[in-house]
Amino acid sequence: MKSDLQQWLTAIGGNRNPDEFEAKQLSKFYGINIPRGRRFAPGDVLNLDGLQFPCAIKVCSSKIVHKTEVKGVMLNNDRQSVKDNFKIMQQRFPDESLLVENQQIFDGPEFIIGIVKDPAFGHAVMIGAGGVLAEILNDTAFRLVPCSDSEALDMIEELNISPVFDNFRGFTLDKQQLAQTISRVSRLAHDMGDALGQLDINPIVFSGRQWVALDIKILFEG
Amino acid sequence: MTTDKIASLKRLLDPKKIAIIGASNAKEKVGGIVFRRLLASRRRLFAVNPNEIAIEGHKVYSNIALLPDKIDLAVITIGAAAAVKAVKACIQKKIPNYILVAGGFGEVGSQGRELEEKLKTLAQQHKINILGPNSLGIFLPNENIDTIFVEHGDQALDRKGKVACIVQSGSVGVEALGYAANTGYGMRAFVGLGNKCDLDEIDFLHYFAQDEKTNCLGFYLENIEKGRQFLEIAKQTTKEKPVVVLKAGRTHTAASAVTSHTGKLAGSDKVISGALKQFGIQRVYDDEAFCDATKVLSMLGDAPGDRVAVLTAAGGYGVMCTDFVEKKKTRAGLRMAKLSRQAKTIIKEATFPFTACDNPVDITASATDDMFSQSLDALIQDDGVDIIICIAFFAPPGITENLIDIIAKKIQKTPKPIIVFTKYGPFTDTCIKDFFYAGVVAYPSIRRAVRAARFLVERKQIKHRLLREEAQS
Repeated sequence: MKSDLQQWLTAIGGNRNPDEFEAKQLSKFYGINIPRGRRFAPGDVLNLDGLQFPCAIKVCSSKIVHKTEVKGVMLNNDRQSVKDNFKIMQQRFPDESLLVENQQIFDGPEFIIGIVKDPAFGHAVMIGAGGVLAEILNDTAFRLVPCSDSEALDMIEELNISPVFDNFRGFTLDKQQLAQTISRVSRLAHDMGDALGQLDINPIVFSGRQWVALDIKILFEG
Repeated sequence: MTTDKIASLKRLLDPKKIAIIGASNAKEKVGGIVFRRLLASRRRLFAVNPNEIAIEGHKVYSNIALLPDKIDLAVITIGAAAAVKAVKACIQKKIPNYILVAGGFGEVGSQGRELEEKLKTLAQQHKINILGPNSLGIFLPNENIDTIFVEHGDQALDRKGKVACIVQSGSVGVEALGYAANTGYGMRAFVGLGNKCDLDEIDFLHYFAQDEKTNCLGFYLENIEKGRQFLEIAKQTTKEKPVVVLKAGRTHTAASAVTSHTGKLAGSDKVISGALKQFGIQRVYDDEAFCDATKVLSMLGDAPGDRVAVLTAAGGYGVMCTDFVEKKKTRAGLRMAKLSRQAKTIIKEATFPFTACDNPVDITASATDDMFSQSLDALIQDDGVDIIICIAFFAPPGITENLIDIIAKKIQKTPKPIIVFTKYGPFTDTCIKDFFYAGVVAYPSIRRAVRAARFLVERKQIKHRLLREEAQS
């Protein structure tokens, strides 16, 4: 994992934050599941080999932190609409890459996993309920990195939302696997060390019997 | 921590020869108070003050240079600028330990910061320990050492106490001391860290972790600079002894502008809470909880589980207690125990056929000491009960002060934690103190008694988790 990280850091270079595609590639090295997807440079022709419908089209740029606010996300594209929407997005963001991904169908609530850097204690990993609603719900737990699977399990059990894992309304969310993912994110942060400023996986959802990170943002310390 | 450092801190905390720089005849001056306090310690004292000849019949040295050799500790009670000069002069006399009482250092501005830097440099350049500046001092009842210049209730702080309290702020420390003293508290040591120009929480964490007379450590901290190091050592300590931290002052996350969702959700207080939990430290949020937690953790053993039995002669408090026990989403969870048939039979036979035995056990206002005693025995013997909360309500005519001894004797014979709630009133503090001297942990509110049970269960969970982790690695 660490050698993958080195290669990845070299490829990014030190002078800019990674875009979503790059952040997801790094996460993959650490065993964090991501949707199948492909990045297209400005002006590239759409190629849907290996992708499924519906799919999502997203602007993919290290300069755009909040995509939704700039109409940078188009969801629910089917075989008919995908080509037109891809063109619309290329016109909307002529200088940026685009990311086309399988859109995940998921069970149960969205979660957020993140990393912050505390001045006295260093990096901490967070699990929170709610995905995009996370800031309203404010239902979170933190541990310093690296954090073990069992510590991550404690974090999940600390959340107000934790009864959702006890077969609530028939959901069969895998708590152990989510804990493992939290631990892996913490390992990634630990390995990146001081270079890492902030990280958001938001949302992460339970789709096809596994936790999948739908959006990942990594900001270097700067 | 090296054995050398341990030995040098022992010399600071248990000095044989003490110099008091700035000792004074004026009883209201810090130098006057500290000198008189130390007179009670029966150590050899050496007062230094160019303007005095004798204090309380003791010779006063006009100059530090005139002091004899082999002094273990200098307590410096004079103002900031003069104090720095005094430390320099004492270093010439090879004095290894210093307590600097004066404020006027880093906490007041650039001039003070400069003085503090000078102290820091002195501490780095020489083999010395400096406690402070702006330190409240040290107080070790067992060693009979007290350099604290403000009034505190030392009479009620038990001399066989086992709690080491390390506090950064003077005022909070004194409040906690007074608070503890009012109701009885087993103090092993009290250390005022002050501005931490040299000695800090990590030094004393190391020291009291290895100190055989300490079985519980409590810290009041405003900033933890070497956060990670503190946590790592605390985690080692907490396998043996509980570590309680009252952390005040919320700092803000990361210097970098927070743009992530996680950053907005964090606030460094949540990170601290998570970190303390992760490293097996029990966090509290005010001085009341600080004293309550360290008291119960120091006096009672681990709870075998989370099932609570409540024994009361006052129905209302039994019901209220049940509500507190069953409250969710607070610290470690508790459950009301399901009593065995045998326990219920014994209690009914010892009390009345109508006694409500479904926990809370309400033996009613017609109860006597003897009934209370036999019912308590039944709960101690019930394997389905992990913790017992006794509501010691002295209003019923059949309940007397003897109940204190009855409960105390049972505590000596069982490892099962027994916590007492005794009711409010002008005599409450005395009553709790009487319980304390008998070796019983008592609180003046149901909420605090139940919270104390949670501290014990939390402690047990921490130990369990750390030992499991150790076995896995």
